[in-house]
Amino acid sequence: MAGSIPESAFADRAAALAGAAAVSDRRWDALRRAARARLAPFGAAVLIAALAVALAAPVLAPYDPYAQDLGSALQAPGRAHLLGTDNVGRDVLSRVIWGTRVSLVAGFVSVAIAALAGSLLGIAAGYSGGRVDGLVMRVMDAVLSFPPLVLALALGAVLGAGLTGVLIALGVVYTPTFARLMRGQVLTVKARDYVEAARALGAPAWRIAWQHVLPNAAAPIVVQASLSVAFAILAEASLSFLGLGIQPPGASWGSMINAGRGYLQQAPWIVFGPGAALFVTVVGLNFVGDAIRDGLDPRLRG
Amino acid sequence: MGRLIAHRLLATIPVLLLVTAGVFALLHLTPGDPIDAMMAESVDATAKDALRRELGLDRPIPVQYAAWMGRLLRGDLGRSIRNGEPVIENVSRRIRPSLELALLAMAISLTIAFPVAIASAVHHNTGVDRLGTTFALFGICMPNFLLALLLIFLFGVTLRWLPISGYVDPLEEGWAGVRSLVLPAVTLGLALAAVVTRTLRSSLLDALAEDYVRTARAKGLAESHVIRRHVLKNALIPVVTVLGLQLGTLIGGAVITEYVFALPGVGRLVVDAVFARDYPLVQGVILLIAVGFIASNLLVDVLYGWIDPRIRLR
Repeated sequence: MAGSIPESAFADRAAALAGAAAVSDRRWDALRRAARARLAPFGAAVLIAALAVALAAPVLAPYDPYAQDLGSALQAPGRAHLLGTDNVGRDVLSRVIWGTRVSLVAGFVSVAIAALAGSLLGIAAGYSGGRVDGLVMRVMDAVLSFPPLVLALALGAVLGAGLTGVLIALGVVYTPTFARLMRGQVLTVKARDYVEAARALGAPAWRIAWQHVLPNAAAPIVVQASLSVAFAILAEASLSFLGLGIQPPGASWGSMINAGRGYLQQAPWIVFGPGAALFVTVVGLNFVGDAIRDGLDPRLRG
Repeated sequence: MGRLIAHRLLATIPVLLLVTAGVFALLHLTPGDPIDAMMAESVDATAKDALRRELGLDRPIPVQYAAWMGRLLRGDLGRSIRNGEPVIENVSRRIRPSLELALLAMAISLTIAFPVAIASAVHHNTGVDRLGTTFALFGICMPNFLLALLLIFLFGVTLRWLPISGYVDPLEEGWAGVRSLVLPAVTLGLALAAVVTRTLRSSLLDALAEDYVRTARAKGLAESHVIRRHVLKNALIPVVTVLGLQLGTLIGGAVITEYVFALPGVGRLVVDAVFARDYPLVQGVILLIAVGFIASNLLVDVLYGWIDPRIRLR
């Protein structure tokens, strides 16, 4: 008996090593596929640049984004002001740079809120089944019964103007997608033999959820999250364009575009600067999302 | 078919209940006293108390909910605080521009999406295809409000071809009305066209690879005939689904478009009510939008089962 223990331990380790090799191979393949996607490098560059700009905003911005200078209001782009100035003489470039922070925070934080809340709800629903499942999923259906922007607008209005309100509103709007996804994954994984084996061995529910369900469900959640960030950034811009979100004089791309809309004739650059930043960021993040999806979930490619 | 409809209708009931509960809760989510949020601080306490009593906010919440649901079931959605008129009247006055905008946008999007998607799929992996997919990507990533401002800048401010804001009813004023809706409808239509193009292109590609297409070609049918009769027909199903799924985006887009072009539609009403803190109006309009949204999704589901017998029989 004593001799058989190390033997089986060795066999276990060999199996584990083989498994690990297979996993790392798969990861490597996934990475390679992602890199091969033609547009992924552009997307990655945009994402890295946006992150850098957001982090280094105080260093990069040539002017104080709030400093008004009525003497140089509505100046066309030129050497002094690369992207021109707005109606109260603030430097558009500096405001675009500071606005990057707001957009990225909005995109990543709201999706993080949604992914976390949605995953927890999805696990609870899929794992408990029965009434809990029914209730959670009907609530998710109810949230999905509102057009996303309308719901975000109403929630944002109720929670009060400001970035926090918008983050929570967008988090709520995107939660059902993650909850549905996670619940589906849980139901699939729950039916697998290894989960049954774990349960037969007496593993508590939380450990099964943590060790078996979560790792298997992670990939689709990551894919969904990466595809959602671009849309969350668009949604934040739309809400702040309508007047929710960061309040003046704070700079967000959406609110800058709204403020510049009255000056389209004299000073279109007030709109075009933040507009171009928003468009390029969203396109870039879309490419990154697509690449991550192609890498992690080849079935969805196309 | 009847069973499918009945099943879907039944499944809607709990969702509708939760939607009404959510809309009701909206007013109570305001930090602090909702009355303070609705009225300026300077308004005196008696006026505030009067509004509080009128909205029933002085009663316990379950009682308020029951009373509100009771009125709802009798078709009473409440009154706007600002103009004192029932929500229904506020909405019915605004519905026409919104419907005209939505229909025109839908027409524009299909007119653009079909030729682009067909050209893309038929000339798969060529320059034409790349142009088509680039257009789709552009349309999907382009924020609605930015596109609106670009169109205003180009056709309104620079070329001065079209009016940039305001609304004239095309059913009454004819051409002037259509002109007032062109830029808003193109704004809303292009985003939709992009999504439809993307879906139609990939479903056309799937259909083109089917055996029956090879058979049709082998029979010696003209390529245009094959595309029209065999490929397009089978590729339409996902487009219906996507149109249904895009409804929410379309409504959201309409809110922004109506805001930018100052169209007096339902979307504009939502934005105005939100910023006027006219909560009863916000609740009423949002509830109506949600119910309309649920109803149209139901319709799409049923339509889907009708188009594709495979769904119905599952």
